[in-house]
Amino acid sequence: MVSFSERLTVAPDVLFRLVGDEGVLLNLNTTLYLGLNPVGTRMWNALTSANSIQAAYDALLEEYEVGPAQLRADLEEFIQRLLGQKLIVAGPVIEASHEPA
Amino acid sequence: MTGVKDLLETATNRSSSFGSGAGSRYRYGVYGMVVSSDTPLDLPSDAHGGVARVECVSAPDIAFLAATESVGGEGDTESWYRCVVLRDGSTYVRWRTIGEFLVAADGRRIMFRRYDRASLESFQVYLLGQALSFALVRQGFEPLHATAVVVDRHAVAFLGSNAFGKSSLAASFLEAGARLLTDDLLILSESGNRVLAYPGPPRLKLFPKIARRFLGQDATNRVHMNPDTDKLILPIGEHRRQGRPVALEAIYALAAPRDACRAPYVRVENLSPREAFLELLKGTFNRRLTNQPRLARQFDFAARLTDLVAVKKLTYPRAIDRLREVREAVRADLARDTGPALNVQPGFLD
Repeated sequence: MVSFSERLTVAPDVLFRLVGDEGVLLNLNTTLYLGLNPVGTRMWNALTSANSIQAAYDALLEEYEVGPAQLRADLEEFIQRLLGQKLIVAGPVIEASHEPA
Repeated sequence: MTGVKDLLETATNRSSSFGSGAGSRYRYGVYGMVVSSDTPLDLPSDAHGGVARVECVSAPDIAFLAATESVGGEGDTESWYRCVVLRDGSTYVRWRTIGEFLVAADGRRIMFRRYDRASLESFQVYLLGQALSFALVRQGFEPLHATAVVVDRHAVAFLGSNAFGKSSLAASFLEAGARLLTDDLLILSESGNRVLAYPGPPRLKLFPKIARRFLGQDATNRVHMNPDTDKLILPIGEHRRQGRPVALEAIYALAAPRDACRAPYVRVENLSPREAFLELLKGTFNRRLTNQPRLARQFDFAARLTDLVAVKKLTYPRAIDRLREVREAVRADLARDTGPALNVQPGFLD
């Protein structure tokens, strides 16, 4: 299980595009196409742009009318599926002082 | 032994040494490309220039022997269709009773050899469809597996795999005065905020019953697509075909025959952008070339097209007697989407 202190990035050779308000993904290595519904798309955007899973969780909790436990469970399940399909990679949080200028 | 690369270069040198003379003295326009050939083809001459070029060069069997020897038994050597990507990136394609083709890695040249028993018409269907699709993909185009007609100055495309009924539906539109834009392979390009659809070869491949019903054409003396099918190759006269690119209005993804058989009535469904995107990906022509750059290009192409053109699902009972009803439903759907700007003429269909 990935820790919420980690940061998620889009795996190399994975493409994401927004069509309408829904996301589509292609893993060039496995040639797997995947569609995300609007909520999945928002989760994807939050997770892959935030500095940590925790930060994405906080943002989504503020945005959606959902209980903390429910959101945590949904996010965990979503992240496991993305990791299983090799669409994202988990890594350490990038500290602000280490970021390139 | 001469390598494939050398042979392709030889072909190039031969044609360039002839310049616009014997090497490629015939010039045609199809799918927005200028096709030059050392052999006459049944295509309109190049009148408008093109967005790309391809040269077709006839070659003796020795040229193809060298290519196939380099890959040994790779690909199914005994089957009706054989396709192998060679080490230099060129593609060898062969249909057992039709002919063989060698498409250069950059898609700018096709060497071909027609087998003795293949008719010229049948051979050209494969040259200007399947074989040319390799050249188009190699040159960065994304062909769709679609047949398109022109209704009131706008192109309407029917997307689907083999045996989905694209050509039959198109024939029913031709009966009502629409023009054929292309059969089976559709090339699109973005132009401003619209999408242009390009004309294909002026022919339609139809079963005799459909040809008789909608085009009034007798099957007698018509050429079959290949020895294993009843499908005929029907030339489409100038008055029934569209010779210039035209703006694409809508794409109708046809339901698979197994789903359509169960459909009791005609149904047109608007697709969500994600559903449309997936239909476009499924409707890509030529699934043999699947390297990463192509997959990435397809992905962008489908996403962009989803933004620009309406994509719908069309389900209908697979019965000849119902095709006019399907045509009417599509026409009504187009009129709803486009409003009076399309100027749908009363009585256009029957």
